[in-house]
Amino acid sequence: MFYVSMFGQYIGQYIKTRLQYRTDLVVEFLSDLMFQAVNLIFILVVFGHTQLLAGWNREEIIFIYGFFLVPYALFSSFFNIWDFNDRYIVKGEMDRILTRPIHSLFQVILERMELESLFGAITGIAIMFYAGAQLDLSLSWYDPLLFIVMVIGGALVYGGIFVMLASIGFWADAKTAIMPMMYNIGNYGRYPVDIYNGVIRFILTWILPFAFVGVYPSAYFLGREEWYGYAFLTPIVGIVFFMLAIFVWNTGVKRYRGAGN
Amino acid sequence: MMLAYRTNYYTGIIIYSINIGAYYFLWTAIYGGKSDIEGLSVIQMVTYIAVAWMARAFYFNNIDREIAQEIKEGKVAVEMIRPYSYLGMKTMQGLGEGLFRLFFFSVPGMFIVSLIFPLSFAANLSTWLFFGLSIIFSFIINTQINLITGVLTFFFFNNDGLIRAKRVIIDLFSGLLLPISFYPIWAQDVMAFFPFQAISYIPSMIFTNGFQGNALYDAIMFQLMWSVLLLIPIFVLWRVAKKRLVVQGG
Amino acid sequence: MMKENQMIYVNNLRKDFKSYSSRSGLKGAFRDLFTRNYKILSAVDGISFNVKPGEMVGYIGENGAGKSTSIKMLTGILTPTSGEVIVNGMNPHKEREEFVRTIGVVFGQRSQLWWDIAVQESFRLLKKVYRVSDEDYASHMEHVIDTLDIAPLLDKPVRKLSLGQRMRCELAAALIHNPPLLFLDEPTIGLDVLVKNKIRTFLKEINERYNTTILLTTHDLQDIEALCERVVMLDQGKVIYDGSINDLRARWMEGKEIHFQFKREVEKDELTKLSNGITVDWQPGKRKDLWIGHVEDNDEVISDIIARVVNELKIIDVNIKSITTEEIVRNIYEEGAVRE
Repeated sequence: MFYVSMFGQYIGQYIKTRLQYRTDLVVEFLSDLMFQAVNLIFILVVFGHTQLLAGWNREEIIFIYGFFLVPYALFSSFFNIWDFNDRYIVKGEMDRILTRPIHSLFQVILERMELESLFGAITGIAIMFYAGAQLDLSLSWYDPLLFIVMVIGGALVYGGIFVMLASIGFWADAKTAIMPMMYNIGNYGRYPVDIYNGVIRFILTWILPFAFVGVYPSAYFLGREEWYGYAFLTPIVGIVFFMLAIFVWNTGVKRYRGAGN
Repeated sequence: MMLAYRTNYYTGIIIYSINIGAYYFLWTAIYGGKSDIEGLSVIQMVTYIAVAWMARAFYFNNIDREIAQEIKEGKVAVEMIRPYSYLGMKTMQGLGEGLFRLFFFSVPGMFIVSLIFPLSFAANLSTWLFFGLSIIFSFIINTQINLITGVLTFFFFNNDGLIRAKRVIIDLFSGLLLPISFYPIWAQDVMAFFPFQAISYIPSMIFTNGFQGNALYDAIMFQLMWSVLLLIPIFVLWRVAKKRLVVQGG
Repeated sequence: MMKENQMIYVNNLRKDFKSYSSRSGLKGAFRDLFTRNYKILSAVDGISFNVKPGEMVGYIGENGAGKSTSIKMLTGILTPTSGEVIVNGMNPHKEREEFVRTIGVVFGQRSQLWWDIAVQESFRLLKKVYRVSDEDYASHMEHVIDTLDIAPLLDKPVRKLSLGQRMRCELAAALIHNPPLLFLDEPTIGLDVLVKNKIRTFLKEINERYNTTILLTTHDLQDIEALCERVVMLDQGKVIYDGSINDLRARWMEGKEIHFQFKREVEKDELTKLSNGITVDWQPGKRKDLWIGHVEDNDEVISDIIARVVNELKIIDVNIKSITTEEIVRNIYEEGAVRE
């Protein structure tokens, strides 16, 4: 309950601060929109040269992308911690975090949130509806509920992976240079996993389970029954990965060396 | 110094390999048995992507963010009275980091990836020389664009959005994700008026022997032209910024 | 001594850091990828001390002496390598979230306040963070805000405050939950004398009013002279002195300095010849006409020396000074130990 109220407090404060820099907000919306367009352009360009990707057509791939944008929007709003090492460990801001009576990861999440990224969810849902209409998909009454569960599961997968990556900073002075490539790997979860060989499929399912943010849960909504088993694993994998990430984080905090050593 | 970050080094190489691996399969699926798309075979395509990401390790730098940060903190005013050029110093710093990553990260990473996936390496020396020349231009042009975005902080209160937008534009229009030749013709025509493809598309195409004969010289000329042209906005912006700083009393 | 009665109980506390060294050259850098050279450095090397509730203790040491590492262990930021820390009846690191609710922390070089929002918004947020009730906040903070004279600053964003204004706000922020224990790390660094005095008076006052225990780290020994009766001195990760500031002075040197300014340049030989029979340590000043004589604190001796010197040499100025704590501390660090 305390954490929910703190969450509200920080969001209130955040909105006040953001509204001070309105031009910046607009530029940020636009850059987010562009970022979403980039991947759509990629899909469109690729399907300009081929009809099917391992038996999946263009609209299905676009639908997966639309779905992906929703958990990704949640993730980028609340897990904006790719520069955790530079911002908190090198600069010693972690000292300040650790002198406050709230869980340290929760504080970092609150301080770094970027709520404007939530608009990506709207883009994503719009893309899903467009692609869904092209594919003549029908909705059951329980589909919206499952959608929410899967979205949260996916966001937790993404969040878990990046929290674990950020925690590396506690052990080694990890530069943030690997983060762009990591974001890029995240994209591979949006393509049907049967195009990959065993190793990469295994990695995308169990090691860096980005497939649970894209193709697996989407397979349920696309009625691809052969993947239902994986689809329903989404929330479980999300919770397990996130718990693991918190454990790694907590272990890392014990190793924190402080700034200026 | 930078190698002190061992964990980072190994994770970097592993993540790079996974990246290229996934790309390899994705493109094999996209090709779906076709022998070539827009003149590139699957193997050339994967080599293209592998080289593009490796070259990125060299030309990429964060000096736009650093400059923006230092402007906000007011450190630039102090730097301006020093007897060296602030922008020149930032460029050299970027070059040092880039060279370091090139030799310690790109070269070994490329080697490991080439053991696992079929990449095609050019056999003749001239391709390598042109590639070398070309990534130097990549560095220059990317750094110039970073300097411009960084210095623009003088004119905006908070520059984060612009820096982010610039990054997205460069990823898409530099040819890092897709060769420019894959885009529809009208889009290619538009991109010809911008410097972005000089950053990634040109060196990667040179490496994969995608450019031959005159196309090769045209590409290098394109890079040369932009690296000269981009000096103009840098000088203009920097002069205006300096004046502003004096007026405000820095 | 009972652990339970202490505000701070530290027993044989140690913190080791692994320090990696890089090999030189390109070849060395490649070798570093496979095996790394490192050595273990003890930033804090088995220290023990206690602080009673209501005490104000000065915690001093040069840079790298282990001050901030030990403070960070006391505040729960760092995990000790070994040894025992009990602060306010709790283990700072193990029960961190519960524990930090009972302490206030001011790091001079690091802001607790949010940069972009008004000071009072920061206070309001911290009030929620520390779960302070409206009544407690009103009764307690009104006084703090008054005494520190920061009411006019409350609606300004932190980035617009001067260092002195910010520091006073930081102090107020650290006291929002009225903690029984306050850690201050360089609270007066870079401040002018007026602000320094204001902060010192304020600290004294809250110590009297709430019996707040204060552990103060500073480079400015005047802070310590003004506030603390007791100092703990660290050097190379060890406690080299723990006791009253008066004892420290007494034990080190009960002496006076006589500063002479002569009309002309003077050689040491002339002075030693003059002071023959009395123990004086003659030290040259910045110029050749300036000399300082260290003597024991005895009226007759001092008068005698001055009389003898004035008799023989033309002087422009004479000054008798007590040796400052600062000089004592500097001397201690030069010798590396406290004289017994």
